[in-house]
Amino acid sequence: MGLNGTLQGKTYPPVVFEIKEERARAFASAVAHTGEGVPPTLATAPEIAAGLANVIGDPELGLQLSSVLHGEQEYVWTRALRVGETVSAEATIESIRGRASMLFLTLRTLLRDEAGETVVVGRSTLIVREDG
Amino acid sequence: MSRRLEDVAAGDHAFEVSRVVTREDVKAYADASGDQNPLHQDDEVARASGFPGIVAHGMYTMGTLASAIVGWAGDVEALVRMKVQFRAPVFMGETIVCGGTVRSVDPEQRVATLDVWVRVERGGATEWPIRRSEAEVRLV
Repeated sequence: MGLNGTLQGKTYPPVVFEIKEERARAFASAVAHTGEGVPPTLATAPEIAAGLANVIGDPELGLQLSSVLHGEQEYVWTRALRVGETVSAEATIESIRGRASMLFLTLRTLLRDEAGETVVVGRSTLIVREDG
Repeated sequence: MSRRLEDVAAGDHAFEVSRVVTREDVKAYADASGDQNPLHQDDEVARASGFPGIVAHGMYTMGTLASAIVGWAGDVEALVRMKVQFRAPVFMGETIVCGGTVRSVDPEQRVATLDVWVRVERGGATEWPIRRSEAEVRLV
C-alpha cells in the first residue's frame, strides 16, 4: 500500500451539516463544556463528515483506518457556531509529506455558513504508518 | 462574561482543570462527533494496535481542553485559534489535567496567546497527551 501523492490538492464534495440543539448539547456534555453557546470543537463533527470519512473511503488514496493516527489539529474560528444554522464543510488534501514508512497527510476543511462566509478553518494532520 | 485585557498578563497561570476519562463519556463523544473508529470503543481492536484497552479520541481530549480554555476566557466567541499536537494516548479511568499559561498579550489586537497542554500521571511518570500547543483568546 502506498499513499497516492498525486492527490495533493484534491477537494472532496462539500457536506451539509445542521447544528442541531440536541447534537450541540450532547457534544457539550461529552467535552465538559458547561457555559453558554456551542462548544467550539463541535466543528469536528462536520469536519469528520467532509474529510476523514471521504479520505478513508477514497480508493485512489488507499488509506486504512487502522494505520492512521491523529498527529495534530488546528482550528481558526471567525466566530462561534450557532444552534440552528447549517454549515457546508469542504475538505481538501493540503499536503502529503514524509517517507514511505511514515507519511503525514494534512487535510484542510472549510466550514462556511449559509451566506458563504467562512466560520471555521480546520487543519488535521494524520500520521499514516505504512505497516498498519 | 469575557475576560478583560487589563486582567491578563504574560506569565499568568490561566487555568488547570481535571477530568476523569470514562467509557461513557468517550462513547458519548463518539456519537456526538461521528468518529466511530473502533479503536475508541472496542478493547480487542485497541489491543490489536498494541494498547492495553480502548483509547480516548484525541479530539475528546482537545475538546475537553477547549472547554477549559473557554471556561477561562468566559465566552465561546473568545476562542479564535487553537493548535495542538497529540503526543500520547489517554486510557479509560485516567485523570487528565488540562492546563494553560499566558505566553503573551497583544494589547493592540486584544488577543492573548496561551501555552496549553494536557497531562496525565501514569505508572509514576507524567505523560503529555497534548503538549507544545497553543490557543489564542480574544479579550474585551
